[in-house]
Amino acid sequence: MTLRLSAQGEVALVGDCSSADAEDLLRHLCAHPEAEIDWRRCQSAHTALVQVLIAATARPIGPPAGEFLARFIAPLLNQDEHRKNGVEGRE
Amino acid sequence: MNEFVEQFLVECRELIEQATDDLLTLEGKPDDSDRLDGAFRAFHTLKGAASIVDFDAMARALHGAEDVLSSVRAGDEPVTPDLISDCLTCLDQVSRWLDAMRQDGEIPADADAAADEVARRFDRFRAGVPVAFQPLPWIEALVGRHPDVGATVALRYAPDRDAFLRGEDPLRFLAALPSLLVLEVEDSGPPPPLDEFDPFASHLVFLALAPGSPEAVRAVLRGVGSQVEIVDLAPLDPARAGDWPELARGLLEAQLQLLDVAQPDGLLGCIGSAGAVVANLLRHAGRLSEVAAIDSAIAASHAARRADVLSEAIRRVLSGALPAADRFEPELERRIPTETAARTLRVDVERIDALVNLCGELLVAKNALGHAAVQAQTGMDQSALAALLKDQHGVLQRLVDELQRSVLNIRVLPMRYVFQRFPRLVREMVVSLGKPAHLVTEGDDAEADKVIIESLFEPLLHVVRNALDHGVEDAATRTAAGKPAAATITLRARRESDNVMVELSDDGGGIDVARVRAVAAERGLATSEALSSMAEADLIDLVFSAGFSTAAAVTSLSGRGVGMDAVRTAIERLGGRVAIESRKGLGTTVRFILPFAVLVSRVLTVEAGGQWFGIPLESVLETVRIRREDVRPVGAAKAFVLRQRTVPLIDLRETLGEPGDLATGDELDVVVAAAGGRLGGLEVDRLGERLDVMLKPMEGLLSGMPGISGTTMLGDGRVLLVLDLQELLQ
Repeated sequence: MTLRLSAQGEVALVGDCSSADAEDLLRHLCAHPEAEIDWRRCQSAHTALVQVLIAATARPIGPPAGEFLARFIAPLLNQDEHRKNGVEGRE
Repeated sequence: MNEFVEQFLVECRELIEQATDDLLTLEGKPDDSDRLDGAFRAFHTLKGAASIVDFDAMARALHGAEDVLSSVRAGDEPVTPDLISDCLTCLDQVSRWLDAMRQDGEIPADADAAADEVARRFDRFRAGVPVAFQPLPWIEALVGRHPDVGATVALRYAPDRDAFLRGEDPLRFLAALPSLLVLEVEDSGPPPPLDEFDPFASHLVFLALAPGSPEAVRAVLRGVGSQVEIVDLAPLDPARAGDWPELARGLLEAQLQLLDVAQPDGLLGCIGSAGAVVANLLRHAGRLSEVAAIDSAIAASHAARRADVLSEAIRRVLSGALPAADRFEPELERRIPTETAARTLRVDVERIDALVNLCGELLVAKNALGHAAVQAQTGMDQSALAALLKDQHGVLQRLVDELQRSVLNIRVLPMRYVFQRFPRLVREMVVSLGKPAHLVTEGDDAEADKVIIESLFEPLLHVVRNALDHGVEDAATRTAAGKPAAATITLRARRESDNVMVELSDDGGGIDVARVRAVAAERGLATSEALSSMAEADLIDLVFSAGFSTAAAVTSLSGRGVGMDAVRTAIERLGGRVAIESRKGLGTTVRFILPFAVLVSRVLTVEAGGQWFGIPLESVLETVRIRREDVRPVGAAKAFVLRQRTVPLIDLRETLGEPGDLATGDELDVVVAAAGGRLGGLEVDRLGERLDVMLKPMEGLLSGMPGISGTTMLGDGRVLLVLDLQELLQ
């Protein structure tokens, strides 16, 4: 189990997250759009999952455990600040 | 080399020939589905053959072309000259690998880079992206955002929508790059609302920057195939756009060093890899026009087995002096000999069977002869013995004749062997000259001795080149003259008794006799009086004189001083003759008349000063008897007049330094012969007979003997020296 969902709507990404986790995460985020995401114990994540994070303009609690995630994927999510605002501005 | 590899090489050559032929036909007739199928099959089979010998790089290079041809078959892709060129380039590369393999039987070590290069040509068909080498907007933006990270490679990775379903994880591929510098997600507008988001489809496009070589990056991302574009950044440096960036310059210089120290056994590999690097650099620098020049330098360097040809080209790249149009044509000629000589002959089983049968019959004849010998020993009646021997001799003669014919038949090759190389060459010449023309070949099946076929390419190439360069008018002139804009060049071969005729006709403007006369006078080939009284055919024949060239402008194709005289020399060396016919406004035909077999030569035997000589019968015009007083001294030499023509008289004894008494009779026998466009009379003591001889070239100490082309043994054990008339009449 790499995706842990708490009753409060919190999500924890743990270990190596697969593409199957992407669907679960998406479903959860649809239900709890403001859910907190914690990826501090996440080693690696499948592209499908990263794609969901980006689409949800999520800002997970980090830094993630995996080096690649920390160095390359985390900035993708954080730099999205302006885009997030832009999207919200349009809506 | 093991048999397996040998077989592989032979088969691949045949497949390449077939594919080339099909592709060239297809270019002219894009709807010819048979040819399309043929080309596709050839590529497919080549790919299969490559896999069998574990030559993965070759299979990869062919795969792209096979895919494209498959799309053409499906009607998804039109046949374009570019597509044909790409497929031909792929075959060229395979051909180069085969050449390298022929040396040592090993798969070339540097094949991977070249394979990538070839495979990349076909990427654009698959991905539908613009030609990969041109600077793309995303690169500039990406590098602009990260100017100082030290990246040398940029990549754009757009996974297919169903990449996840195939089990691919694009980020995992990217994470495998050892030293990724920058990773971005291409901004494709606001993401769709989460409740419409499809988590199973891949939506992201990644942009990345990395250090190192594009080849290294490509190697890591090999599994991703055409979903990724990889671009070398080094030459894009805008600050030094005109010049080579330091890194590129360093790379180019490294290639020069590599070539400098190349050892003979690794030479071809060095040339290949150095050339591939340079071509890549040029391509990425957008200097596409120079790529062709480097490509031909690589080919030339390969063929000549000399690194300096490529080195020179690289130096010119460095100094910016490599002209785009430079096709390195002179080297084209140098590459010919290595390519034309077939190491192996494919012989029809029937011909071998015929030989086996002959062997059996010869055995029987030998036994019969032994029987006759026993009879002679036991005191058989003289006349009965003579009859028996005569009988046996008759049988032997028939068998030996047949044996000779059969052996010669084994050495024959069809004309196709040399003809098939011309469609491709003509295509290249047409592009470089800008005169539309197409080539028609007839009589591909006509056969001739292997030596003849293999030596024909060079003279034919020269004649074809001449026809396109000088013979064929440009499209406008042709249209004005009421001819089709595209010229037709016909290469024709046919067997005529003991000869093989090879003709090259063009429907161009014909030879301008007035111009020939003017040029001949200018070059001092003959006095203007002689020229004005000369018959038209004789004038046209002057184009075979050494140093004759009427091209107003020297082009890269012809006019390099090797004129038609070289053609004549080459053909006569094979025991043939060259003739030329031209009709103003209608075209020119150059005809080679060649012996079917070179081994057997018909000679006329003559005696001079006690020694017997053979004169090649094809050179003998006539034998005449003249009166001694009709011989006039001309300077230090002698001459006589025959039907209003002055013919120099050559005394064989003197010329060849044979001792012997001077003949003193009132009349002398003279053999009038012609060779190399010159006429001469040979003074002989006695005329002998006509003989078929197997000519042996002079070897060892005798090889330098002037005026003698070879020797042969006569029936009574005497040695017959066969004269080299071309040398004697000079």
